[in-house]
Amino acid sequence: MITGMDRLKAALSGETLDRVPVFCNLIDQGARELGLPMREYFSKGEYVAEAQLKMREKYGHDNLWSLFYVGREAELFGSRCIRYSEYGSPNVEDFVIKGLDDIARLEVPRDVATHPLLEEPMKCLRILKKESGGNYPICAYFSSTMTLPSILMGMERWFELLFIGPTNVRDELLRKCHEFFIQEVKAYRENGADIILYSNPFGSLQTVPPRFFKEESLKWIERDIAAIGPSGVVYYCGTSRMDNVIVTVLERTNIQVFYLSPMDDIAIAKRILAGRGLTCGTINDLRLIDSAPGEIREEVRRIMREGTPGGHFLFGTGVMPLGIPETNIRAMLQAAFEYGSCSRSSS
Amino acid sequence: MPEKQETLLRTRRLYQEAVFDTDRERALQVIREAVDQGVTPEEIVFDIVTPAIEHMVQSISDDYDANLAQHFMAAEIASEVTAEMIGRFRARPAAAGRVVFGTAEGDLHSLGKRIVIGCLKTLMLDVTDLGVNVPPEQFVDAAVARDAHVIGISAMMSHTARGENGCMGVRRLLRERRLEDRIRIVVGGAPYRFDSDLYRRVGADAWAPDGITAGNVIVRLVKEMKQ
Repeated sequence: MITGMDRLKAALSGETLDRVPVFCNLIDQGARELGLPMREYFSKGEYVAEAQLKMREKYGHDNLWSLFYVGREAELFGSRCIRYSEYGSPNVEDFVIKGLDDIARLEVPRDVATHPLLEEPMKCLRILKKESGGNYPICAYFSSTMTLPSILMGMERWFELLFIGPTNVRDELLRKCHEFFIQEVKAYRENGADIILYSNPFGSLQTVPPRFFKEESLKWIERDIAAIGPSGVVYYCGTSRMDNVIVTVLERTNIQVFYLSPMDDIAIAKRILAGRGLTCGTINDLRLIDSAPGEIREEVRRIMREGTPGGHFLFGTGVMPLGIPETNIRAMLQAAFEYGSCSRSSS
Repeated sequence: MPEKQETLLRTRRLYQEAVFDTDRERALQVIREAVDQGVTPEEIVFDIVTPAIEHMVQSISDDYDANLAQHFMAAEIASEVTAEMIGRFRARPAAAGRVVFGTAEGDLHSLGKRIVIGCLKTLMLDVTDLGVNVPPEQFVDAAVARDAHVIGISAMMSHTARGENGCMGVRRLLRERRLEDRIRIVVGGAPYRFDSDLYRRVGADAWAPDGITAGNVIVRLVKEMKQ
């Protein structure tokens, strides 16, 4: 039987086995799958692992997720309040950095791997690794050094510090975030994470100006990736476009997987990469909430038509909103399996 | 060309360049030099800062790659300069309209709100910042209390943009209280950018893809309502 890991490895080397690998990022859906309230669902590694395995089995996509919620990183720094909702992802409500003076006092967790707040995510990872037997790549989410401050102090205050504030304070915070980032990736890798989703909206020219990207963003991207190594790393700018930075990031870091924004042009990204890396074409999953199954099929077909020629292609979603009806998840995946199949791709 | 006109044009160009480079210090320096050369506070706001915001709106629509940092800095610099210059106006200008603005209930993302409010202040609108996580009742009560023309709602998450306690809740209250002909709703945030029809489905009158454009959309709505 061909597994998700087989498909991914083949795609990385430019081949297609039975079909293009399909990554479907179902995170919060796990709570519904188990019939649990969000807060309870995210309280146990067993719950998250069980739901991930069940959903993968049910829908047939190729990846598993160890992510609980992004705000867990802020909790590790001391954030005391996460706002839960039954309709969407938990959010950081208590920012640990309330004023610039807090940055000097901010303590990087000493041993992230054994931190009590990572006990459950690590347990989840180990269960996923054992149960999936390495057959399905396990994804883990990491805020890049430059992204992490946005959940420690809020995006508004981070923008203020980043573009107007004192550079020595900004750089002190970035150094602390970098130190944490390295430890966090190491902990997840040691416990079984295969895919390191490197989340960095500040690595997109839709977020920062070109000069800032060259002088600041890129410097921290290089440091981050040099510290952890590019193996298994996926470059991801959230929902921001990346086509005009792909070459630079590839050449300066050797990252070889680029998870596009739904706003990126897949054909252009593939042309830029020219077989030097894997392109992930991403569907605009916010539209999956209201679209008819027929419309979804058409959109998947378009993505596959643009992405499959020449191989080195992966089909993916964003962070699927909870409001997407199950029928539409199935319609998308069915179309992805069909239009991404080897016979279709080569025809 | 008269010397004054030349100074204004040069200042406008230098100011726009600094804003586009997200260089706050240089932008403020350009303004200081213009003041030293005899440009009046009214001219700084209406002939330099406001056209720069409008120029940026045009650039955003022409150039898809305008970035969030530019929006943020443009709004920051413009509102900072405007606040300082208004204090030196010979007569305080009348507000072009009144707006109450906040993020939808459950939504704690405040960056977009800050950009929009910065623009609106520059465009001479009287803005009340309701903060984050604002329930529908608070939006409507505040709009009534301040006789606002527009309620602005920012939402960065799918469920806060689409939920009953976001724009839909505000629309419901406006309808129940028979306020729909007096108050318009404008929405913005990532979910609307990825689904440009969503604003209609949640009952908004208009939407904007970014903070800078939102300023212009709101000004247009206010003008329509005043006619």
